[in-house]
Formats: sequence, structure tokens, C-alpha cells
Amino acid sequence: MAQPNQEESVALVLTKQIYEPPEVPKRIRQITFDVMPPGEMVQVSEMHVSQPKLYKMPDRKPNPDGPLDLRMGVSNKQALCTTCGHKLQNCTGHFGHVKLQLPVFHIGYHRNTIQILQCICKSCSRVLAPDDEQQAILRRLRRPRTERFQRVALFKKLLDRCKKVKICPHCGEVNGTVKKATGVLKIIHERYTKNVDELNAYKEEFRDAAGYNDQIAPLLNKIGDNLNPLQTLSLFKAIRNEDCELLDLHGRPENLLMTQIPVPPVCIRPSVEMDTGAGSNEDDITMKLVQIIDANNVIRKALEDGLPVPNLMENWDFLQNQCAMFINSDMPGVRRDPNEISKPLRGFVQRLKGKQGRFRGNLSGKRVDFSGRTVISPDPNLSVEEVCIPRLVAMNLTYSERVTEHNIDALRTCVLNGMTTWPGANFVIFPSGKGRWFLKFGDRRSAASELRVGDVVERHLKDGDIVLFNRQPSLHRMSIMAHEVRVQPWRTFRFNESVCSPYNADFDGDEMNLHVPQTEEARAEAIHLMGVTNNLCTPKNGEILIAATQDFLTSAFILTSKDKTYTRAQFSQICTYMGDAKDHIDLPTPAFLKPLELWTGKQLFSILLRPNAQTRIFVNLETKEKNYCGKTQHMCPRDGWVCFHNSELVSGRLGKATLGGGNKAGLFQVLNADYSPKAAAQCMNRLAKLSARFIGERGFSIGIDDVTPAPVLAADKIKMINKGYATAEDFIHQFEQGTLELQPGCNMEQSLEALVTGVLNDIRQKAGNLCMETLHWHNSPLIMSQCGSKGSPINIAQMVACVGQQSVGGKRAPNGFKDRSLPHFPRGDKTPAGKGFVGNSFYSGLTPLEFFFHTMGGREGLVDTAVKTAETGYMSRRLMKSLEDFHLHYDSTVRNAANGIVQLKYGDDGLDPVMMEGKDGEPIDLARALSVVTACTAPGVGAEGLVPHPRRLEELMEEQLQAAGFGRESTFASEAFCASLRKFLLGQAATLQQKRMRMGLPEKQAGDGLVELAAGKTSGLTPHRLKAFLALCRRRYELKEAEPGATVGAVGSQSIGEPGTQMTLKTFHFAGVASMNVTLGVPRLKEIINAAKNISTPIMTVKLAGDGSQGAGRLVKARLERTQLGQVCKHIKAMLLPGHAHIVVRLDMRRISKLSLDVTAMTVKLAIMEHPKLKIKDANAVRVMNHDLLEVDPPVARENRKQLLYALAALLQELPKVTVQGLATVQRAVVKADSDTPGRWELGVEGTNLRAVMAMLGVDGERSATNNVAEIEKFLGIEAARKVIIQEIVRVMSAYGIQIDHRHTMLLADCMTFKGEVLGITRFGIAKMKDSVLMLASFEKTTDHLFDAALHGRTDEITGVSESIIMGAPMPTGTGIFKILQDTELQAPTARQAPFLGP
Amino acid sequence: MAEAEDYVGGDAEWDEPEEEADAEEILEGEEATDAVEGDSAEAQQGPRENTGPRTTTRYLTKYEKARVLGTRALQISMNAPIMVELSGETDPLKIAEKELREKKIPFTIRRYLPDKSYEDWSIADLEIQER
Repeated sequence: MAQPNQEESVALVLTKQIYEPPEVPKRIRQITFDVMPPGEMVQVSEMHVSQPKLYKMPDRKPNPDGPLDLRMGVSNKQALCTTCGHKLQNCTGHFGHVKLQLPVFHIGYHRNTIQILQCICKSCSRVLAPDDEQQAILRRLRRPRTERFQRVALFKKLLDRCKKVKICPHCGEVNGTVKKATGVLKIIHERYTKNVDELNAYKEEFRDAAGYNDQIAPLLNKIGDNLNPLQTLSLFKAIRNEDCELLDLHGRPENLLMTQIPVPPVCIRPSVEMDTGAGSNEDDITMKLVQIIDANNVIRKALEDGLPVPNLMENWDFLQNQCAMFINSDMPGVRRDPNEISKPLRGFVQRLKGKQGRFRGNLSGKRVDFSGRTVISPDPNLSVEEVCIPRLVAMNLTYSERVTEHNIDALRTCVLNGMTTWPGANFVIFPSGKGRWFLKFGDRRSAASELRVGDVVERHLKDGDIVLFNRQPSLHRMSIMAHEVRVQPWRTFRFNESVCSPYNADFDGDEMNLHVPQTEEARAEAIHLMGVTNNLCTPKNGEILIAATQDFLTSAFILTSKDKTYTRAQFSQICTYMGDAKDHIDLPTPAFLKPLELWTGKQLFSILLRPNAQTRIFVNLETKEKNYCGKTQHMCPRDGWVCFHNSELVSGRLGKATLGGGNKAGLFQVLNADYSPKAAAQCMNRLAKLSARFIGERGFSIGIDDVTPAPVLAADKIKMINKGYATAEDFIHQFEQGTLELQPGCNMEQSLEALVTGVLNDIRQKAGNLCMETLHWHNSPLIMSQCGSKGSPINIAQMVACVGQQSVGGKRAPNGFKDRSLPHFPRGDKTPAGKGFVGNSFYSGLTPLEFFFHTMGGREGLVDTAVKTAETGYMSRRLMKSLEDFHLHYDSTVRNAANGIVQLKYGDDGLDPVMMEGKDGEPIDLARALSVVTACTAPGVGAEGLVPHPRRLEELMEEQLQAAGFGRESTFASEAFCASLRKFLLGQAATLQQKRMRMGLPEKQAGDGLVELAAGKTSGLTPHRLKAFLALCRRRYELKEAEPGATVGAVGSQSIGEPGTQMTLKTFHFAGVASMNVTLGVPRLKEIINAAKNISTPIMTVKLAGDGSQGAGRLVKARLERTQLGQVCKHIKAMLLPGHAHIVVRLDMRRISKLSLDVTAMTVKLAIMEHPKLKIKDANAVRVMNHDLLEVDPPVARENRKQLLYALAALLQELPKVTVQGLATVQRAVVKADSDTPGRWELGVEGTNLRAVMAMLGVDGERSATNNVAEIEKFLGIEAARKVIIQEIVRVMSAYGIQIDHRHTMLLADCMTFKGEVLGITRFGIAKMKDSVLMLASFEKTTDHLFDAALHGRTDEITGVSESIIMGAPMPTGTGIFKILQDTELQAPTARQAPFLGP
Repeated sequence: MAEAEDYVGGDAEWDEPEEEADAEEILEGEEATDAVEGDSAEAQQGPRENTGPRTTTRYLTKYEKARVLGTRALQISMNAPIMVELSGETDPLKIAEKELREKKIPFTIRRYLPDKSYEDWSIADLEIQER
């Protein structure tokens, strides 16, 4: 129609042109789910499947009209599909259908079917709720902004309302409750149970029958309607369309019942013929279909011929069950065939569900081509960004490179080399349908000569190619990085040891995976975003992750020792270790000239940083090593103060703090921040080569003599152990005497354990220190421990001196036998040896008993790691699923895939955590930035001398801050940063003032010129430098901003999930108060993230109003703590008098006054009457006889003697539990020193109900808080809850010494609270946070979400991460957040033209 | 240098709708009451160009850099004409990197804001962070 002219020119064949869609790539914009109407099933079906038999026997052909009919596609390689005529490879298969003779319930919608039945009248099919309420709900449903879970709540409301309606307002018919019959797929309508008239009328009908059959009568009372599928179907058909909307249904409700079954194509349920030729293996689905068709045929026959009703019903039930199994084979309530004992069947639900199911196993993650896996091994000669690939692997993995003018020669050689010679090629693909040319056989020379520009060659991997390298578990983004390929012989993947830590790899047999990106786009993105050099630092907290390890550190430590000097020959030799003879090296002036030219090891590092004068790298860095003595800086006797000044190592033996990872003040961190990641990587490469080659020459080993204690040490150790034992004995003796002083909040036994454990742990600690002091400086373990490459003082102590106390569950070895740990000790033994103290060292050897204790401790560690990995793995998965789609937009907001705002500015300042320099996540390390400026900028003398007077300097600072954009109300930088910058600068001015005062200069005005100059020189902060400093700050700050597109959510979830795996073992206590245990570690993290309502240790921190003295604290404690009657009375007795019985309670007034409680007989009376369980209403039943005496009458009539006895007993049992003072929810309160303000006291309170605590007299409610997020949300609101979530996560992490950038925790807290209520990171919370059906289906409860989506006709806009992955579409984050347009007017290549011709 | 002044962080975002209202001052009065509806209708329509000053970062982000280089490298690998003088490079990615250094890549980046408006930035307009 569109081209009538052309139409005329060709012969007229068709009157209408068939529309053919153009061959362009398509993008799926959205997916809408719906319930398929039976009519549509028939329409898409190719055939009606009516025959249960699979094969026609003599020739084993698929039975026509059977489940394997060729019209539905084929499942073997020979046959042709009779519908489309294609083979297995190209035929996608075609549906068939089975018409069910009687409808059955659909198991996926069974719950919904019941709910709809509960909502409608069982006679007129109208919704039962009153009209006005219907209208109100409908109005809210129709609002476009009503969210998904609000709709669910509205339907719930309607349902609850309808359940209450007994008489239909429209037709007046009686409606009873509708419920599911237990165990079977049947729905019962209890019409008569609460309606006696109806029941009697109905019973009346059976009177005659009951007269003849006496079995009927007892059953009559249980009578109810069975709403069978046929009835349900007719009811559903009668539902008005208006009511469908009210019921939140998208399609017609009758579609929820099965009247037709679509038969899936054969290719998804392949029939595999056995090799022996006897029979075939059939898929579960096919087998189920056979049974369904069979049953269906029986029913058809029964309906046609009129079989007896019970028989028919039996077959109908069978069909119902089979149809349910077809969809979901392990639905609870569906009876399994008792004859079937074999493995459970796989229904459609089972195919989709779970880790191996379609969603998680085949759609979210797939098996891939172009990948490899083998064992890894180290190679320090490789650069950090390289990975070495065995030639064998390189010849199997290919990259399809298109021939251009630039590469045609190289590719031609590859083609000539063929498959078996590296670097060769496996295939040549000629465009325009000439096909692929396999280079294993045939004439490669002709292939090479035919190669033209535009052809594609699948060549072998070669040096410089880009690959992705990965090790599982992939806990954070650095677990998969892009490396450059180096092809080498042998059979392992090799890489620089510096890159071990991001992968968490070692070389004890680990294997790693490799993937080859197949397009130029993929390679470019891989190397620029995932390249090793671009991932030196972890986004968890900005610490450097890729840095020297183990031997490199040892080697550097040895090299830089003060006694190492080298002659010209030695020094030059070592210098050549650093590179591969590619760099020019300027030899520095020797440190010693006479009597012999000698260089120091420290000079080596000056060369390493700056090999020649052309390298413009000037590192300025001062840091403390592990062995720094604590004062005297550069002159530290242990040489622990590392100082680089303009790339010269001035002092310090280099160790882990300078060269290693996991810190922020190291050399590589500085190179990375001040220069470039590339510069840092280069230095790392030099260090790796230098260290490996040097230590290879020098040798470094450990032997038995390294762990042999010197006689002095051995003697000291024995002395120490004896002393410790004596102290412990002393404590035990005190314990037995009962004179042991109690620890706060502990009983005698706990106090003893705490004291003894303290003493014993001290022994090992002291032994460790002793070892560090007495071992020879040349001792290998000592060197390793000092430089931080491996091992701690405790490890050395265990080898040399004493293994120490073995603990299980944070306590000494438990009693595995009655009252003792092992039968080798007396009962009740509490001595060190009897509770698992190991006095021997690994060198001296453990006794059998010690060994046994040691295995107990070891076992705990193994079990713990095994348990925690599973737990943290699941936690990481949940975190990732909830945060995956949060990313930064171009307007600097953080939003989810549905465009909902989570944060207005990422982390309140929009900075990228990976770039943070300071220890506590501060953007810039100001002190170091200033030192860089002072080292690299000339002072610049101004009009006011070198440095103006501090007062003037302060003014100047304010001016400059304003000018650089860091002033008050800055739109450039965050408020917090501006404040810290101002504070830092003012601090500098203050130091200058102090110096001036010390030099005797006047405070208010300028003093003597020369002295003033001297003072200025020591400060160094001249106006010129100030300007340079602020300019540097501005430049750096700007570069640190997080970039639009950044997937901050995914990074955040990794940053919280990954440290979770490290949180193993160790139980922690409240500092100071040993009694108040608080859950920490993974269990606590789980509680916070799950937003658990009941946490295991709820603890409130209660601040005191007024003077906050200890006495006031005690008073408040008395008011808060739950005090029960049993705790404060002398006795509770039953008085049995003739004709009268009551209970007498006598209070212990001495104790009450001692505890400063406000308890009198009067208050006790009130408490008893309020106690819910006692049910004493009569005020005369409780009589106050005296100030400390009460009488309580049992709440029974006096005459009832038998009851009376029981009532008395019950009272006796319940009365001690009556809370007479305090809050019932508060178990314990402990008065302790205030953590914030010294001199004041506060309360730690175990228990809940913050509101009551806040309102308590003497409590400062505004400053009191709890660690229970649910309570905070309830009483203080969502913002407070967010803050507590952040606080609690930080508390858990810091207990293990793990630092996480606050931006991550903030984002997690925002994710949990941005919907206005605290949502846990659980399947319920995530379902409320996310809108995407596919994302929810790929998380948990796969089929529930799918059925629900179909029922309500949900639409999935493919905008999130999971959905995009499932659909195979690029996700709209990162590189997908923008579009690229080609500028057409600039097409003409300018570079090719001669420059003087102009454009 | 106009971009440098425009780039004042997130605050500029909130001025934007007001500016649009200013531009249509002639209509005033009744229009103001319908403003909310007009906005939502506009949001439902397809993407539109952001009139008024550009507010997004003046730097080329690392994602933009990676994608631009990737797209350009793909073009080069498929024999697109090269915009710079080569000195022996054959790897398309290396050539693309050189082109980017000289800002010769003929691309425009269309940055979408969450309200479905967009800003067009030519490669030549963007600053490349030296790291």
C-alpha cells in the first residue's frame, strides 16, 4: 500500500501486501502479565491433544494426537516439525491443548479463588460489602498514585469486610464462611453452621432418607456446601465487570479455573530414546500430561455414557490432583499418590523455582563461552595489571577481530599459523554469507591471501588483549577485574602477588576464572572501569587494597635497615633488579664517600620512586611504622618513623604501614592520590621485582633454631606461668571460701571466671612481649612480625614460649563430663590446667591433655566459619537484591529503578567513598595536603613580610576560603568539609601564635622583624602557600565527586556484605560492665538488616536529669527495674481458717528501704488488683491489714470448696510474680559512669518500652535511647530510626575493627526507611520496596510473584538491574545512563588533509 | 567558561522549574492552578531537551569516557575514518584514546535527567579529568 508505483511494475500477485516488519533490532520496553483466557489457549494451539499414548508401537512413531505429536515440534535431531517444517535447531515448538471435560481449580490461583468466593454472594455473585464502602475502596483503587502494596491492603480490607456480611444486601441470600477443606483442593461453604433455621429446613429434606439409612443422621449436623469447580465457574461467570475492578482483578475471574490445558511444545519436554532401543525416557511434564489426558478421557466417557456419580466424582478428583501436580508438584495439601515412592516430580513451578531454577539458574546467570579456569600461581615479574595465560589456553580462547588496514598483516600471519601454532587463528568469517572458514583443515595460505578489509578473524589471544579475571566468592567488585594478557608457556594462570588481596587468593591450589570480552566496546569498558589500575582502592573505605604483601614487605624491611650499605657494584646490581632494563637510572651520590663509596638501602627507595630526573614524582609523606618507639620522630632508635621528602627516603625502615594494603597513609596511597594510579602501579611493579629478586639472592628462611627459646626466656616463662597459676589458685581459694569480691552484675562463679581468664590471657600476652624483647634481631619470625608481613607477637609466643588458654565460646574449656572438662581431673576442678590452659609451646610440644584442649578450640573456629559463610552469603544476596538498582543521576540524586528518590545527595556530600583520604572518611587529608604544598611551593614574600601577624592571617584565611568556594553557605563543598577546613586553618594560625609567644613576640602586634621572620619560617604557611593550598583542596575536592551513573547501591551492599564474612568468632561484652552482654557480629547485623521486631538484647541507654549523681542513678534504677512481689516480701502464706481461707503477704520493709523502693502495702494492693492474670476485681478482696501486711481472698465463692483449693494454689503461684514497682518490660538496670560527660552517671537498661522509660521521673528523656530500631520507629519516628540503624551498623562493624565509609551505611539505612516505615532486607521488605515482578521473581517466592502479577495484570517496565539482566538488555546505570549521538556535520576526517589547506 | 559558573552543585536543580514558569509569564493567571497537571502530563510524554542553562557536571565522567572510547573503538575497528594523525598505533582502543585526548571524537553525549529531560554535551565541551 505504501509504494503503489512499485506495485504496478511487478506482476500483481496479491491484492493486499503482507506487512513485513523491518529487520531492525528490537528492545522490549515492558512486560505485562495476564491470566490467559481459555479461548486464547485454543487459538494459539496447533492441535487438540486427545490420545494418552505416546508412541505408535510397531514403528515407534509419535502417536498422532498424542502428547509427542510432531505438530508440536520435535525433540530429536532427525525428525521434522510438521507445523513449520524445521528441524530441532530452528523449530521453536508449537503449543497444543487439552479440553478438560470438567473444570478444575488452578493450584496457583487456589488462594485467590477462595478469596474471591469469600467476597461474593454465593447466589447472585455480587460483592457482599455495603455499597458505600465499596465506593470508598473503589475510589482509592482508582487513584493513579496508589502503590502496589496499598492495593493489596485495600483488597484485604474489602475481604475482611465481606467476611462479616452474612446476608447479601443485593439478593438477601444467606452467606456463610468459605474455607478450604483440609488436605484437598476443595472449597467448603459453611452455609448452615451458624444458621439454625436454615439448617433445620435443610435437615428436613433428609428426614425420609435418614429414616432408611441411619448413617445419614450423624453427618447431617456437619452439612455444608461443596463449592466444586463447576459451581465456582458459574458463580465467577456471573460476576459483573464493575466488581472485577473492586476485586483488583485484571481479567475475568473465570479464567482462574482450568477448562483448557495448554500443552507445551515437545522441545521443552524432550523424549529421549534409550540406546538399547527399548522404550524412552520421558519428561515429568509429558508423563503428567498422559495421566491428565487419560483421566479426561475417562470422564468424557462417563459423561457420555452416564456412569455412576461416585465413580465420576472420583475421576474428577483425580483429574483435579493431576492438574495441580502438572503446575506445582509439591503443593502442601495435595495428596501425593501413595504408590509413588520415587523422586518428586518436577512441575512447572519446580522448573522456575530455586537456585537451579529458570530464574536464578538460567536467566540471571548463564553458562558462557570464551572462558577458562585453571590453577593460579604467583609471578612477581609480571606487572600488577597483567595476567599470564598458558599458551594452551590462549590457543583455545579467541577474539573476533575485524580486518582493517592497520591490522591486516598481523591477522594474515595469524591465519597462516592456523589453529595449532600460537599466535594463530581458529576461524575466518567472510561477510556476505560466504560463511566461516575452519582453519584446522584446508589450505590456510589461500585463506590468508583472500583476507580482505572487513573480514573477521577469530584469532588466538595475544599479549595486550583484555580479559576479565575472577575468583569466587565474588564478594566485592574487585573480585573481578580486567587484566592485560601475557601469553607464556606452562599451565597455570599467573599474576603479581600484590593483586592477591582483592581476589582473596592464595596459591595453595586455588583456581580462578577468565573471561574474554568479545567486542571493542566491552574491552574498552572493561579496562577503563574494571582495570586493575582503576581499582587500587576499595570503595568500602578508600583504603588501598592492591599493595605489597608478605615477602615484598620482608624484603623491603631488610633492604632499608640502617646497617645495610652497598658498594657501587652491589648497589648498581640491585638497581637493575627494579626494572627490565627499560628505565634510565640516575645513580645518586653515595651516602658514604670515605673510606669507601657506599650507598644505603634507603637510597634504593629514592630510586624506586624516582629513577631519573625526568620522572616528575615528588612524594612527601610521614608515617609511623609498627615498631615506632612513640617519640623522637626521625631519630627513633628502632627507625620506625618513615619520612619521604620530595621522593627521598629520609628515615624509617619500610614495613606494612608504608608499603602494605589496608591503610590510608601508605606510600602507594599517596602516589595514587597525589599523582596517578598508574604511578602507584609502576612503583608497585618496581618494588615487586626488586623485592622478589633481592630476597631470592639473599634468602630468607625459618628453622628450628628460630623457635628455640633462649635459656633466660625459658626460665622467665616458667616463672611467669608459676606466678599466674599462683594468682589463679588464690582466686579459686577465695571462691571456695566465698570471700571473692564480686564483679559488678556478676555472681561468684562468673566473677571467678572473669578474673582467672584475665590472669591467664595475660600470661600469653606477657610471654609474647618477652619474646619480642629477647629474640635475636636476626630471627626470621621476629623480622616478619616486626615488618607486618606475617605473624603476630602472639604467634611467636605460641611457637616459642606458651600456647596459652584455649577457649570455646569465649569461655574456658567447658565441662564435657560431670563437673569437669575431662575425666583426668577431679570434679569441680577450676585450675588453669583443668580448664584448658596450655603451658607448653609448640616447640616444647603439647601433652595429650593439652592437645585435646587445643583441638576443642580449633574445632570451634572451623564450625564457626562453616556456619557463618552460609549466613553471610545469604545476607549479601539479600542486601544486593534490595540495593542493586540504586544509582546516582545527573541531578546528583540517588534513585531506584522506579525513579523514587532515596537520597537527595549521595551521602549528604555527593563524594565517592573510594576517593576518601582521611582516616574517618574525610575527603582530604589536610595535614598531608599542606605538607605537599609547603614542600613544592615557594614561600613567596609578600608586602606583609613572610607570614603576616596571626590575627591578620586569620582574616586572610577567611577571605581566601570565601574566594576558593569553601566559605560559609558554600554551594561547592559540603558544610562538614568547609567547617573542618576552617578549623584546620585556624589551628595553623594558633600554632603560629604559640610559636611567636614562645619566641617572646608580642601577642597583638608585629614584633621585631628578624624574629618575626624566623617564627614565620617555622610555620611555613605564607599567604602565597595558603592560596596554593586552597587551590589544591578545591581541585582535589572536585575530582572526588561521585559520578552520575555510579551504582552506589551495589557498591554499598558489597561494602557491608563483604566485611560480614570476616566477622567470625569472638564474643564481646559491654566495656566495663561485664554483666551486660550485647549481641554483636553476624547475628546482630542480621537483626538490624532484617529489622527484627524482637531483638535478642534490647538495651537502653538512660541519661539522668538533674545533677546526674550516682545516688540519683540508684533511685531511677529502682523505679525502672521490675520488682516483683516475691522479691520484696518475707513470706506469702495460705491461711486456712474454719469457713474462711485467704492468703497473707508480709512485706520485707528493711529490704524495701535498702533498695530505696517506693513500695508500701497500699501500692502492693493496687499492683495486685491490676495484675491481669489474677482477675481480682473486688476492692475488698485485698485488704491492707498493716503497713507491711496484706490479706488476699481467692476470687471464688466461699461455698465452692473444691474450687477454693485450686484458687488458693493458683494465687500462691501467681502472687510472687506481681510487679510491685518498675516496668514489667525492664529486666535489669545497671548504674555506670556516663560515657559522654565525665563525673555524671547513666543507666544501662536491659529491656524494652522506651516510652515509659522516657516519661519516668529523673530520666532525661530527650537524651535517652535504645538499640531497638523497631521501638525507636514507634516512639520517635522514621528519621530517628534511620539514625539508629546507621549507629548500630557502625557499632557492630567497629567491634571487629572494620571501618566502613559512612556513605554506605547511610544508603542502607535510607533504603530501609525511604518508604516511610522501617522495611527489613527480607523477602517481605523487599517486596514492598520494589515494583518489578521479574526482580521479585528472581529473588524468592518466584511463582507466588508471577501468579500474583498475572492476576492483577501487573506491568514490568524493564528499568532495574535484575530485570535488564533477565531480558538481556543493557541496564540504565553506569554506561547506560546516557546516550551517544554521532555528530554528522563533523564527519569529514580533518587529520588526513594537509594542514595548510584549512578545514 | 560559562559552564564553570553554571556548575554550582545540586542547588541549581531546584531553580529550574521556576525559570520555565518565568519564560511563560504571558500565560499567568489560570495557568498557575493547572501547573501541577501540566507538569505530570509533560513528564508522561517522551524525553525533551532541557532549555535553560545546563546543570550537569562539566567533566566527562568515567562511564561516559569508557562508553565513548568503546563506541569509537568499535567504529574504528570497522574501518571508520580516523580523525587524528597516527604514529604507529594499530589497536582501535589506543587510537580512540588518542582521539579523545585531542577531543576529536565526533560524538554528542545526551545526558538524561530523572524527569526525562536531557542535556546534550559535545565531547569538545567536556573537560577530561587528568588522572
